[in-house]
Amino acid sequence: MSSRSTTGRRQRGLLPALLLAVLPVGVAPETWAADVLHPYEAASTGYFREQDTLPGSYHLYQTEQAGRFWGLGPGGSEVRRASFSSDAHVDVLGYTGRTCVSCHETERHSLHSSRGNVSCVQCHRGEPIAGIHHYYSPMNPIRRHAYVCAKCHQGASASFATYVIHEPPPLADSTRDEFALFHYAVWFMVILAVGIFAIFLPYVALWGMRELGGWARAKKSAGGPHDD
Amino acid sequence: MTEHVRRFTPTQMLFHLGLIITFMILSVTGLAWMFIETAWGRLLASPFGGYQGALQVHKITGLVLLAGFAAHILYTLTRVTWKGFPKSLFGPDTLVFQWRDVKDFVRHLGWIVGLVKAPEFDRWSWWQKFDYWAVWWGLIIVGVTGLMLYNPVLSSQFMPGWMLNIALWVHRIEALLAMAHIFTIHFFIEHWRPRAFPFSATMFEGSNSLETMREEHPAWIARLEAEGRLDDALVQPAPLPLRILFFSTGYALIGLGVFLLVFAIINVGLLTLRL
Repeated sequence: MSSRSTTGRRQRGLLPALLLAVLPVGVAPETWAADVLHPYEAASTGYFREQDTLPGSYHLYQTEQAGRFWGLGPGGSEVRRASFSSDAHVDVLGYTGRTCVSCHETERHSLHSSRGNVSCVQCHRGEPIAGIHHYYSPMNPIRRHAYVCAKCHQGASASFATYVIHEPPPLADSTRDEFALFHYAVWFMVILAVGIFAIFLPYVALWGMRELGGWARAKKSAGGPHDD
Repeated sequence: MTEHVRRFTPTQMLFHLGLIITFMILSVTGLAWMFIETAWGRLLASPFGGYQGALQVHKITGLVLLAGFAAHILYTLTRVTWKGFPKSLFGPDTLVFQWRDVKDFVRHLGWIVGLVKAPEFDRWSWWQKFDYWAVWWGLIIVGVTGLMLYNPVLSSQFMPGWMLNIALWVHRIEALLAMAHIFTIHFFIEHWRPRAFPFSATMFEGSNSLETMREEHPAWIARLEAEGRLDDALVQPAPLPLRILFFSTGYALIGLGVFLLVFAIINVGLLTLRL
């Protein structure tokens, strides 16, 4: 932080100012908890519903999320038993002295780590690391937005916290079950992009050759290409 | 110097120029952000004060481009001949795709492989119409996803947060498609194919030589002549200093595009982003 220039600081001040100018005023008004239409679209009110405090109630949220948009959202991945534990690594042999990614290799790269240099424990917290579904865990979906996301993303809502940090590879077969809309949307874009080039690249290559041929013939017969 | 035929109005040239400037800034800052893990990405980000600055410039430039797009839509509405609408949309001067373009495409393909005579294009060839509408479709895709990503905390109040996973990938792929298309296909067709080589200044000058237009858009010139409107459409070519400016600026931008494309391809293996 300290190494950044004053220009950087000035620019950081510019964005909120611009946002204030661009966005409608009062986008997130103070609302009575009872008037909140849907827990996922609402900004966190700080109030919890009855089931929020019950052990195992996470599945209400999972079902709710997975069922939205015709079940095309995330939530299809398998849930591990250890994710309900207060110490997810209690059974792991030779646990001490290892790094997280020595076992969780596939979780090494996410935008948060590669772009923001956020470390594992900044979200998953210190020892003992609770499973993300343990009902006291800060990572539990019922409070993840407030206890984890909002540390950096001020005003993060429960909906915001459904963003998938450890994104599955979008084109992989397994992602079809884990996060269907993500899988289909990215496939659609890839086919669109590849399709455009599959048509245009050979097309313009042949076209160029044709013009080159015509140009050479014109040069031979008329003594030179047109003067332009 | 041969006479020129006017092809674009100053407003249209201004829209294209604005598009070039915003597109290039968005390309540099967007690739800087996408490749920030690599030395090349950090190099691209350095003029903006690093990755945070690059991202902010990207967002603000994106808003400017969307504002320009909105202005262009309004402009388009003023150019529509409302008398006789919607039939008026299908004249030879409009950019709306018509049955004729399908026939031209097939004929052009036939000419490329040496089967038939080249099609006689009217004012717009099919690829010019394609390039025009590709900007609409591309801007709608990157614009909507870009606005979703602009303020994730705000946008996740109106949709599930996981929609941003989708928005980010769609934004990336559409942006890569747009850049790769402009930096290869568009540059090739407009500047590098033998007839246009080394540089076509039509979009910057607003006109091109009558001779070239007779070759490339014979039906248009014939129509102007038949209607007696050709003389009104003739203009003087731009003076030499201006043409030098068009050429040098144009090639600086073409060079920047090719640089971005080549280095993006070279560095793509170093990214941890995986499809």
